[in-house]
Amino acid sequence: MFEIPEFWGWLTSPENWEGRYGIPSLLAEHLVLTLAAIFAAGLIAVPLGIVIGHFNRGTALVVLLGSASRAVPTMGLLFALVMLLGVQQRELAVVIALVAIAFSPILAGSYAGIGAIEKHIPDAAKAQGLTTWQLLRIVEIPLALPAIIGGLRVAWIQVVSTVVLAPLVGLSGLGFGIIQGLALRNFDQVVASALMIVVVTVLGDQLLGFAQKTQAFRLGHLSGGNSK
Amino acid sequence: MKNKIKLGIAAIAVSTLGLAGCAQTSEAIVIGSQAYYSNEIVAEAYAQALEEAGYTVERNFSLGQRDVYVPAILEGEVDLFPEYTGNLLQYFDPSATQTEAQAVYAALAAALPEGLTALALSPASDQDSYNVTQEFASANNLISIADLANLGSVTLGGAPELAERPYGPSGLLSVYGVTVDFVATGDTTVESLVAGEVDMANVYSADPRINQLGLVTLSDPEGLFLASNLVPIASAALDQGAIDAINAVSLAMSADELVAMNVRSVEEELSAAEIAGDWLRSEGLID
Repeated sequence: MFEIPEFWGWLTSPENWEGRYGIPSLLAEHLVLTLAAIFAAGLIAVPLGIVIGHFNRGTALVVLLGSASRAVPTMGLLFALVMLLGVQQRELAVVIALVAIAFSPILAGSYAGIGAIEKHIPDAAKAQGLTTWQLLRIVEIPLALPAIIGGLRVAWIQVVSTVVLAPLVGLSGLGFGIIQGLALRNFDQVVASALMIVVVTVLGDQLLGFAQKTQAFRLGHLSGGNSK
Repeated sequence: MKNKIKLGIAAIAVSTLGLAGCAQTSEAIVIGSQAYYSNEIVAEAYAQALEEAGYTVERNFSLGQRDVYVPAILEGEVDLFPEYTGNLLQYFDPSATQTEAQAVYAALAAALPEGLTALALSPASDQDSYNVTQEFASANNLISIADLANLGSVTLGGAPELAERPYGPSGLLSVYGVTVDFVATGDTTVESLVAGEVDMANVYSADPRINQLGLVTLSDPEGLFLASNLVPIASAALDQGAIDAINAVSLAMSADELVAMNVRSVEEELSAAEIAGDWLRSEGLID
C-alpha cells in the first residue's frame, strides 16, 4: 500500500505557510537572490563572452576565470563579504558571492556560442555589407543563443543550490528550513525543504532547457532544416 | 595452498591490529571536544589534569557538533567530553521543562543513555542569554527581561532555531509578557545587534564579545533560559582516580574564569593548551 511520507505533514501544515519564515516568503527570497545574481552576472558576462568570441581575443581569460571561480570557497567568500560590507549590506554581499559562481559558466557559454559559428557565415554576412554591429545582432547572437542559454542553465543550478547558505548570514531562502530543522532535529522539515529546493532547481532547469530547444529549433527552421 | 598462506597472513595481520587497538583504548583515555574553541580549552584542561595524575590521554578534539559526536561517545570511541547541561538535556529529551541549574543537572543524569555518566557539575556556564546594547539599555532603563514589557515592540535576533525554542518568542510572551518580532540573523547575530538591525540578541553568555562590545545581558528572574553549566560526560572506562582529577577541574572553574579564557583565545590567539595550562597552574591543579 502507498504510504504518505512523514514530511508531507510538515509540508502541508498551514502554520508553515505563513509569516516571515513561511514557505511562500522563503521561496520568494530564494528566487529573488538567485535571479538577482544570475541577472547581474549575465549583464557583464554575456557581452564580455560575445566580444571575446567575436574577436577571438582573450580566450585565456575565459579559461582562467573558469578555473579560478571553481577554486573559491563560497562560504568563506560569503562571510568575508558580509564582514567587509557590513551586515546592513548583507543582500549585496550574498549577491556578489553568488555572481562569483554564476559568472564563469555564463561567460563560457556566450564565448563558446559565438566561437563555434563556422567562419564562412560571418564572412558571407560581411560580404553582404553588414556592419559589425548588424553582424552581431542579426547573425551571431541569434546563432549563439542556445549556447548562451546553456551557460545560464549551468549558472542557475549552481546558484540556486548555493543560496541555501544565505540563512547563515541572516537572510532567508529555502535553506532556512534545512538549517533550522537540523538544529531542532526536525528531520521532516529538513527533508521537505531539501525536496523543495530540488523541485525548484529542476523546474528552472527544465524551463531554460525548453527555451534553449525552442531557439535551436527556430534556427533550424530558418535555415531550411539543414542546421546541424 | 598459496591462498591458505595468504589467508593466514591476513588473519595474523587482522588479529595484531585488533590487539594493538585494544591495548590503546585500555590505556589511553580518549578526550573529545566540540568544534568550538571554548569547549576545546575545557577539554584541554581535563587532558592536562589527567596527565598530571599519571594517566595517558589521547586528544580527539574538534569533533563537530552534537549530531556527529554523540554517536561516537555512545560507541565508546570517546571516553570523556566537556558538555553543557541544558543543551545536552535538550538533545536527549527535547520536551524537558527544567531550567534551574541543579534541576537540569538531575534531569540530564536521568536522561543520559546507559553507559554514560555526568560527572560533577561546574559553576561555569555557557548558556543562551538576551543582550542589548548599552545605549538601548540606558535609553529604556533595562535591567531584566521583564522590563521589555513596557516597550511597544522589540525585534529579537538569533539563530534560525530560536524561533521554535521554548525560550524564544513564545516563552518571552508567556513568561514575561513581552512581544517580539523575531529575525533570524544566523551567524551574524552580534553584528546585527551592534548595527542596530535588531534590539536584542541571543548570545552565549561566555562569548567574549559581550565584554568587548560592552553589551548588557538582561537578567532572567523567572528562569526562562535553560541553565547550561559545564559538565564532563564520561564513559565507564574512567576509574575513580581519573574522575577525581576531572571533578577538581570542574569545581575550580568559575563562569568568569571561563569567559576570561575565551577572551584570551580571541584576543591573544593563544592555543587551547597554553590557555588551559596557565589556568590550571594558577589554580594549583598542575605544577
